[in-house]
Amino acid sequence: MDSGLQKPNSTDRVVELRLPSKLGYERVAMDTASSIATRMGFKNDRVESLKTAVGEAVTNAIEHGNQHDAAMKVIVMLLVQDGELVVSVADQGRKTLTEDCTTRTPRIAEVMEKADKGGWGIWLIRELMDEVEFGVTPNGGNQIRMVIHLER
Amino acid sequence: MLEDELTVTTRQRDGITILDLVGDVTTFAEEKINGAYREVTGQGAKNILLNFRQNDYINSAGIAILIGIVTEVNQNNQKLAVSGLSSHFQKIFRMVGLTQYASIYQDEDEAVQGLNGKRA
Repeated sequence: MDSGLQKPNSTDRVVELRLPSKLGYERVAMDTASSIATRMGFKNDRVESLKTAVGEAVTNAIEHGNQHDAAMKVIVMLLVQDGELVVSVADQGRKTLTEDCTTRTPRIAEVMEKADKGGWGIWLIRELMDEVEFGVTPNGGNQIRMVIHLER
Repeated sequence: MLEDELTVTTRQRDGITILDLVGDVTTFAEEKINGAYREVTGQGAKNILLNFRQNDYINSAGIAILIGIVTEVNQNNQKLAVSGLSSHFQKIFRMVGLTQYASIYQDEDEAVQGLNGKRA
């Protein structure tokens, strides 16, 4: 490990995005995450997984946390650490994520019986990332923190 | 500006109705996909192929639309196949379970042969 040379939390390793709460802007976060992960040496399939997870987290923040209010921002922080990329996505918490939302495992046969066929986003994030935590920001918004490890 | 709006076109090949899907498969694609599916179903389509073009953005809202399609395909006694997905989205379709209701093929030629009961 290169301890001493690079402090993991140094600000020169943080990229921060403030996105309007309008669908479509999640692509900016996906492209940024993809660009950083590719430069860090992540393989293509891992970059694709990261893009899907980041897209779902930001879409969720736009649609639920900020209720499509374009004046409200979604804050995305990407932190480059040794051997991993940490992405946190925070909204302004108009609607709080319930525990059921963050732990549910949808089953397609059951979903097909329902009118609403959705509910896959957070599950996909949990499946695709190496670590996922759900929390609350100091302002009461939802925050998803996810980590993807660089395989050596 | 930020959306790559989905284009759906419909054609026939060897008794298969092919829906070519080019662009993003997100919440904005719902009307187009459902509209095209209902139109071909109304015309009596029995074997349907959703032919993706290595679309680079299919999200959970898009997956929900596709689950709606497989639900109707089951009710209407049709056969559904999918082709042209990148390996990432093939993986996602498997994880979600869509592959229990629609066969996945690498490309259109394989899918047409598969739907017609021939091995690729």
